[in-house]
Amino acid sequence: MSLPPPSGASGLFRLRVGLVWAAMLGGFVAFVAGFDLQLGFVREKLPFLLGLHLTPEGMLQGVPLTLLVCLASMLGSVGLGFAAALGRISGSALAYGVATFYTSFFRGTPLLLQILLIYLGLPQLGPVPEALPSGIVALSLCYGAYLSEIFRSAILAIGAGQWQAGLALGMSRGAVLRHLILPQAAKIAIPPTGAMFISMLKDSSLVSVMGLWEVMFLAQSFGRSSYRYMEMLITAALIYWLLSIALELVQGRLEARFHGGQRPAA
Amino acid sequence: MKIRFFALALLAGLSLHAAAGPTLDRIRQRGVLVESVSESYPPFSFLNDRNQMDGFDIDVAREFARRLGVGLKVETPSWEVLSAGAWRGRWDICVCSMTPDKQRAQVLDFVAPYYNSPAVLVTSAGNAQGQKVSDFDGKRIGVEQASSYERYLKHELDAQDGKPPVYALNTTHIAPYGNEDLAFQDLALGAGKRVDAVLSNFATAKGRMDKFPGKFRLVGAPLYTEPNWIAIDRAADPEWRATVVRLLDEMRHDGTLARLSQKWFGRDISG
Repeated sequence: MSLPPPSGASGLFRLRVGLVWAAMLGGFVAFVAGFDLQLGFVREKLPFLLGLHLTPEGMLQGVPLTLLVCLASMLGSVGLGFAAALGRISGSALAYGVATFYTSFFRGTPLLLQILLIYLGLPQLGPVPEALPSGIVALSLCYGAYLSEIFRSAILAIGAGQWQAGLALGMSRGAVLRHLILPQAAKIAIPPTGAMFISMLKDSSLVSVMGLWEVMFLAQSFGRSSYRYMEMLITAALIYWLLSIALELVQGRLEARFHGGQRPAA
Repeated sequence: MKIRFFALALLAGLSLHAAAGPTLDRIRQRGVLVESVSESYPPFSFLNDRNQMDGFDIDVAREFARRLGVGLKVETPSWEVLSAGAWRGRWDICVCSMTPDKQRAQVLDFVAPYYNSPAVLVTSAGNAQGQKVSDFDGKRIGVEQASSYERYLKHELDAQDGKPPVYALNTTHIAPYGNEDLAFQDLALGAGKRVDAVLSNFATAKGRMDKFPGKFRLVGAPLYTEPNWIAIDRAADPEWRATVVRLLDEMRHDGTLARLSQKWFGRDISG
């Protein structure tokens, strides 16, 4: 079995990778250039998509709104996912039942439906939630369900010997989990979690059904209103891509940080 | 039931003294009328160059707000959310180019018509074959999904004023699109490529033809005319309904509706 080349390989390898990127990027640009796009239109609308202006109602719009929704939902989903993962590996029938039902429902139903259940369904019971918190809660619940499975598998991937060693030293189960298991599990969980967050970044455009002016909403509205649809869609695509690259960089940093102390597999 | 009857009687009695009603009270208290509208239906409602909602519908809503002595707040929930009803006080009014039908009337209260839009068939300018509407029998027609135009092609329109609709097109292949924009983009590739024509309303089609001269043309005369109504929540109080009717009447009689119609369409479609 051939191993993938280690990161930070030789200068020649990086140069060749750079050339491949440049060629593929050039192909993409050539493809897009064939659309006869009006760049002046993009330049005119870009400040609105980047959210340099508030909406007429004084609300965040564009990139800052997308980032706010995503960052809040990341925090919420990590909390929910961790709680559900602990429920899945706990001996309590109640915790196990709640965790499995939650994971099954929120992984098994469309996010759009979950957003509408919260935004249109909750008012039937009394509270009338605003659009922004509804969107954050829906994204947190949905992605928490996916993350719980990532966290669970990461925790279970740490060998039983680690548990036995910790318990033999007289540590409590909680202490073993916190000090021995989680630091090692985090390393395993970070790459798939990063992938989920990148996916969330783009799924966050679904909150626009409640009238939130995030990146995709603005791109579509400006595009349709001015009959310059492709300009705006490609602009939105580039914005999402750049944000994803930023997330990848953060993920890389975290991976590097949790990589320490790992011995190569025997 | 009895309690509800008493509550209604009580409300009716109260309204003799204070004709405001809970919706109007809420509007006065907030200081704004909250209008809900589709975010991209030019020239009725669209996001303009200054990042504000603009268009005929917005102007009419602003006129309601002005006559109530409050400001206007425009919100843009998706069409599905908007037309699902049960607004729970989130929105006060929908001056949003909505055409009533039986299903929608179950969840929204249609108060009064405020303009009529002729439905027109549009084809690509280079299409030599399709000269009259009947040439498009058996052809592929693009429409916005779940629109009244789709129901027209399916011959499922509701009767209006007791008259059954007359259908000028038969056995067409319907191509439903998530939004009209994509339908027109496909038509711009040339009739016969992906669609042969698009069924839409005159005002939005005209906006597009003006924007892209030489791309599209109308086929024959309008197929039918459909009224667009102002809608409010079904749960709204009768005082609010009466207020909307009264203000719209005022706008019609003092020429405001006609003036706004002239401003956006170059002709009066408010009749």
